[in-house]
Amino acid sequence: MNHFNSNRRQFNLALAALAGSALLPGTARAASSVVAAVFPGSWEDAYRRTLVPMLAKSGVELIIAPMLAQDQLAKAIAAGGKPAYDALLLSPGQTAEAVDRGLIEKIDTSKLANWNKLDDKLKSPWGPTVTVEVNGIAYNPELVPRPKGYKDLFTNPAYDGKVAWLGFGSNSATMAWVEIARLYGGGEDNMQPVFDLLRKHLPKIGAIANSGNAQMALFQQREIGVFMASTNNVSRLKTMGVPCEFVHPESGSPAVPVNIHLTKGAANPAAVYAYMDAAISAAAQNQLKMPPVEQIPTNRDVAFTPSLEAFVTREQMAKFIYQDWVKINKNRAAWTAEFDRIVKK
Amino acid sequence: MNALAAPSLRNLPYFGPMLTASVLFFLAPLVVLAVYSFSSPEGASLANYARFANDEFSVSVLIDTIRLGGSVVLGTTLLGLPIALLYWHAGPRIRQWLIFLILLPMLVSNVVRTFAWIVILGRQGLISSTLLYTGLSSTPTNLMYTEFGLILALCQIELPLLLLPIIAVLSRANRSLVDAARMLGAGSWRVLLTVLVPVMLPGLLAGWILVFASACTSYVTQAVIGGARLIYLPQFIYREVGVLFSWPYAAAVAFVLLVSTGVVMLSISALSRHRRLVGHA
Repeated sequence: MNHFNSNRRQFNLALAALAGSALLPGTARAASSVVAAVFPGSWEDAYRRTLVPMLAKSGVELIIAPMLAQDQLAKAIAAGGKPAYDALLLSPGQTAEAVDRGLIEKIDTSKLANWNKLDDKLKSPWGPTVTVEVNGIAYNPELVPRPKGYKDLFTNPAYDGKVAWLGFGSNSATMAWVEIARLYGGGEDNMQPVFDLLRKHLPKIGAIANSGNAQMALFQQREIGVFMASTNNVSRLKTMGVPCEFVHPESGSPAVPVNIHLTKGAANPAAVYAYMDAAISAAAQNQLKMPPVEQIPTNRDVAFTPSLEAFVTREQMAKFIYQDWVKINKNRAAWTAEFDRIVKK
Repeated sequence: MNALAAPSLRNLPYFGPMLTASVLFFLAPLVVLAVYSFSSPEGASLANYARFANDEFSVSVLIDTIRLGGSVVLGTTLLGLPIALLYWHAGPRIRQWLIFLILLPMLVSNVVRTFAWIVILGRQGLISSTLLYTGLSSTPTNLMYTEFGLILALCQIELPLLLLPIIAVLSRANRSLVDAARMLGAGSWRVLLTVLVPVMLPGLLAGWILVFASACTSYVTQAVIGGARLIYLPQFIYREVGVLFSWPYAAAVAFVLLVSTGVVMLSISALSRHRRLVGHA
């Protein structure tokens, strides 16, 4: 029995030590480490393969926490000033929200050696753009003709029952809806033309899915022939052998810069700057532009691969449409509610 | 009397860990959620609950969610009762196989089972192809993103939750009750209705509670099979939390879901205490 008691005491001590170390992550971590939230899947793999060893050479330990952008934001809000992550990886929809809630800090660009390698459009005071996701229309050439633009999807009967859409919960869908609104006389401030169009066109819509992944599953099963996609989505489907092509809408391609941000209250800002600088360096982006991630490089010294140029060229990058996410976020709740009311069966 | 039956300080080492875990990981988050649900720009108020109650659309989403749970309970009961009767009449070897087959789908993740249903329900899917091949339909049938398709998928996914409690009850049931009924001249239907159903009822009610709760809150299946046009409360809450960051309202809606499903489950549970219904009269 004494033996058991002694073991139990040891076990309890070990448990307490474990709990203590979990509660004090800051003290347990190396002085020059950075905990960075990164999108799960291909992003996470690519950053682990490229940036972790690169930063380790300069004495910075990069700890990757895989997480979707909205989950990063939700956790940062829940942390209440004691952030679990030193750096966030967000697109403008979430960045605007993070700025609004005071979750991230403006950066000191003089601390980034590669800052001037970025185009002006990709230099946000809230953090460098590490890549740009370009959105357009994905279609299956075996099922539907090549669409010219968004209007085509509503006016050409060849697309009846073949197009999938998403609601305003998705960033990609929101960008497409804003562009469609513009075509019909609206924009970031006025979504009414889209709602009128939806009401009229609803019986002819192939599917209204809940997420980009569900849409891609439907596309793979040939249940739909068209969906609003990024070049990365199309590249992924092509790699899997699914017949899929990308179209830049004739009205222009909406694009989303993806940025690294310094979290307010980050434990080691110097390490975060090292991480940001590595992510926009030519050495890292020359690896990140390769399959399977094929990220569009933002560093001007990095040449596009032929496979990337099949989707987009550096010249086209200058013509991308960057939408006003502050305005979009202001209207998003109302748009979401209206969209649900229109589409609900 | 079992020493563990009544909680006392002497028994603290036994129930203490469970009590601590419940308070820390269930009760405390629930209290935080409740506090959130009452917060509004004007201070603590019922504004979020009033917003939900006064919005016709939100109330219709709540009704649809409860209706979905009810439909799945009905569907699993219709599918499950014949299997339960087969179990009752089968020999030991077939019983073992039946339990194995019932448990088999549970060995696969719910997400995988849900995605498998896309292959079955879609325009190019198994059901549509069969209908076309047999000539029962001349055009492809799409059951994806329909309420019927969703109920069908949920019935298959939730079926083990209904069957396992029934089988547990049947395994302990006294078979001589059926023999006695037959000797007294009862036919097959009378045996079923007056002996077997009352014997199964405690398990059936437990199964209904599990199936109802699981179907009402099954976010993945509702989202993937139901799509965006069939809106239920779990998706509604997720969007308020993850997209619109309206946490106090999401907390209030979560409480509405908790209370609504709780009321239905407590009502089913109350039936299990009905002496005549469960065969103790």
